[in-house]
Amino acid sequence: MNFSEIKPRIHAYLGFGGVGIDARTDEIAEECLASLASDARFRYAYKTFSVLPAFLCGEPYAEFLRGSTEAILCVTTLGAEVDRRIKILGRTDVTKSVIYDACASAYLEQLADEYEERFGEDRTYRFCPGYGGSDIADIKYIFELLRPEVSAGVTLTAAGYMLPSKSMAGIIGIGKRAEKRCGDCMLAAHCEYRKEGGRCYNAAK
Amino acid sequence: MLQRGKVIILDGGMGSELERLGLTGIPEELNITHAEGIKRIHRSYASADIITTNTFGLNRIKYRGKYAIKEVAEAAVANARSAGKKVFFDVGPTGAMLEPLGTLSFDEAYDAFAEIADITRDIVDGYIAETFSDVYEMKACLLALKEHAAKPVFATMTFDASARTLTGTTPETAALILGGLGADAVGANCSLGPRELFPIAERFLSCTDLPVIIQPNRGLPRVERGRTRYDLTADEFAYWCERYAEAGVSIIGGCCGTTPEFIDGIAHLGGRAVAPRQMELKTRICSASHETVIENVVICGERLNPTGKKKLKEALERGDIDYLIDEAIAQQEAGADLLDLNVGVPGIDERATLTAAVRKVQEYVDLPLQIDSSSPSAIESAARYYNGVPLINSVNGEDSVMDAVFPIAKKYGAVVLGLTMDGRGIPETAQERLEIAERIIARAEEYGIPKHKIMIDTLVVTASAQPALVKETVEALRLVRGLGVKTALGVSNVSFGLPNRGLLNKTFLTMAMTCGLNMPIMNPLDGEMSGAVRAFAVLSNTDESAERYIAAYKDYKAAAPVAAVGGKEGDKTVSTLGDCIRKGVKSRAAELTQKELERSDPMTVVNDVLIKALEDVGRQYDSGAVFLPQLVSSAEAAKIAFAVVAERLPKDAEKKVRIMLATVKGDVHDIGKNIVKVVLESYGYDVIDLGKDVPIESVTEAYKKYNPAAIGLSALMTTTVPAMEETVKALRAVGCPAEIFVGGAVLNEDVATKMGAIYTKDALEFVNKLKTLL
Repeated sequence: MNFSEIKPRIHAYLGFGGVGIDARTDEIAEECLASLASDARFRYAYKTFSVLPAFLCGEPYAEFLRGSTEAILCVTTLGAEVDRRIKILGRTDVTKSVIYDACASAYLEQLADEYEERFGEDRTYRFCPGYGGSDIADIKYIFELLRPEVSAGVTLTAAGYMLPSKSMAGIIGIGKRAEKRCGDCMLAAHCEYRKEGGRCYNAAK
Repeated sequence: MLQRGKVIILDGGMGSELERLGLTGIPEELNITHAEGIKRIHRSYASADIITTNTFGLNRIKYRGKYAIKEVAEAAVANARSAGKKVFFDVGPTGAMLEPLGTLSFDEAYDAFAEIADITRDIVDGYIAETFSDVYEMKACLLALKEHAAKPVFATMTFDASARTLTGTTPETAALILGGLGADAVGANCSLGPRELFPIAERFLSCTDLPVIIQPNRGLPRVERGRTRYDLTADEFAYWCERYAEAGVSIIGGCCGTTPEFIDGIAHLGGRAVAPRQMELKTRICSASHETVIENVVICGERLNPTGKKKLKEALERGDIDYLIDEAIAQQEAGADLLDLNVGVPGIDERATLTAAVRKVQEYVDLPLQIDSSSPSAIESAARYYNGVPLINSVNGEDSVMDAVFPIAKKYGAVVLGLTMDGRGIPETAQERLEIAERIIARAEEYGIPKHKIMIDTLVVTASAQPALVKETVEALRLVRGLGVKTALGVSNVSFGLPNRGLLNKTFLTMAMTCGLNMPIMNPLDGEMSGAVRAFAVLSNTDESAERYIAAYKDYKAAAPVAAVGGKEGDKTVSTLGDCIRKGVKSRAAELTQKELERSDPMTVVNDVLIKALEDVGRQYDSGAVFLPQLVSSAEAAKIAFAVVAERLPKDAEKKVRIMLATVKGDVHDIGKNIVKVVLESYGYDVIDLGKDVPIESVTEAYKKYNPAAIGLSALMTTTVPAMEETVKALRAVGCPAEIFVGGAVLNEDVATKMGAIYTKDALEFVNKLKTLL
């Protein structure tokens, strides 16, 4: 992976928005990315559905998938070693733990985006439960249908949290295109990135 | 029942057959709702020697169907019996992640598996615990099955193409841990096809003398229109299974995608004599993801031991085991290969403390541990909860000690360190020490503990008191090595009572290594000592091409000034404490604080320098001139400065304001809370951090215990906001008048006000609101 591609995302997660990142933070981010390259055990589990599972028939999923020929459900993760590293850094170097955490999120997004290129150009972005007024607890349906515990090593807690923590569960429509936008986000009204005029998903835009 | 030494054939995939027969729903419930269909599948696998039940997801944590677990289990066994073969009960993982990364406790996992064992022990011929990816969960499972049912257990983990499980365990480590816990066969299943699993099988075969079990998938699957497809043919599968048998695998079956045709194709291997193989049984200890082979010279870090360490002793006395973490991390970074862990302080509950310490240390450090205690009960509990194969320190030549410790070591597969002393004390001559070592090894064998699971410590005497005996200790090493066991010594005891101890320790270490010392128990942070070990490796030709030596010393410059560790560009330009805080240069905070204290009294340093600098940073953060990482750096630097200032303040002179923080029940994301913590600490607050996923009653109990001036709660997702509300309610119900601050991604002013709390958007706002309210 070319680290420079994901840096805008990291900067956004760390709150730098459009402002340039300082040299010291950048240097630590470089170290974190190098460490991530060995800590991360990227997994991506998915299934393709030509008949939509019941929970996708309601809104806002139906609207999101309208015009798709198929839907893909996916669960992806960086694995448990990344959580462990964040935990250790939280003890020894809080600054670095904050930066590592942001790097890990950006790293996972990037790896997942790259992985999804195999689904062809006519595809939507990953729509994750919680977007667009959907219920974040809907992740449980994805887990029931995918059983990613064995295939990706991702588990879902009773409170609806995925573990390892650097994991994502999402829905991709095939046969149409759609880009991320703030209108779909549950946090849009209170978003710190938006207040600064930025976006979490693509700081460059 | 099953003939040892003969190849055994297991059945094949269940899921693919269910799909073929169009049986859908919760697979385990089909045992009741579609018993005939399940029986038909079992009978179609009748060419196998063992039929496994359709119960992979049947445990109280994973199974959410409408029938009782007992009812499903009994139906499943009855269905499997219809094939007329031996029946092994299939036990899969819980699907939840164990603590500390997850929320499921070791005991909860154990209880779930014990329930299965209790229900089935009289109706099955054995168990197959399969497709585990977390070796700790497998440990809970094996202990439960072994303690609740006296039947054979086959144990298989699932590995990826890099030959590690999801939690980082290698085949060697899995074999070591599972074999140590009494698994009757160990190996791999699922995830990979027979070709990809072959090198993993070879690794199992070369490191354990237990039967090896392999159940590959039908090749690597591809997903086509939402359905999993496998392309491997039954003939190709049979070809690979033939090779497994030739290599020495004892038990062969099929996993995902394999069908009766595949098992029919390998059934002829059943009953064949297991092929002989070469294996090397070394003295090995491990955590879940790190194995240390005791050979040549490995360093056992000695610093997790209160002897002679006042601060650690005090910390243990007040039940603060967090103190061990930094010491453990520092030793790992300094190059230790394993860590001694001793919490022996008079008057504490050693069993509880040692167990808690093992659990805490293994959260942060993956080095294997040496469990060091004279209490068999403490050793037992620590070994049980340890996620790996520990070294137990120690037994000696006394029968009563060996009879208490060896059964524990046998049960948990631990390596035992034997001290060459007995009721008479430490014998003077090397020959007498050898005799005790022989006695220990023989006694261990009676308990079924092989020689490679024993190490011997020939015991260091102090050179000042018994100068003539030092060479006996060293000579004893040579003699003991002749017995084929590895050796250990607590090296630094030799110099006790003499000046320049480092020189004596280093010289003695070199003498001992030359005579066969494998494991000095020493301070890895002492560069002279760990340097001697590195140098010895070069000179004894065990560090090939001096690779590790060069890596350690490539930047070495004689008499170089001591460089600040982790120093970054720009550190040198910082000349005042205020600057140091504003720029967040942690590496110089302590030194510049000392300098400042030479000029001003402690309270002036706090008010005029530290707080002022922090306020500057805060203003810049609010105006968008500095950002989160810089804010946190400044906070960390200020925290270091505060600690230095605090040492100069008279005790209790300036009582710190106490704030309690917790991430609420069910929530496992705590980075935000950690930022708040360091920022609060930078302002001199005394922070009690309860951690994440904190049960409501733990918060109220902690409130009563610590009586904080304010409480901060965090929650990330909407799903845990109710737990936050309940926590606030519970605090009020126990009469807590303290202000409660809440924060987290989905929180806002409205939500906070509704639950009777104060919203803070970030750590700085928390501090600012605290200042105005307290």
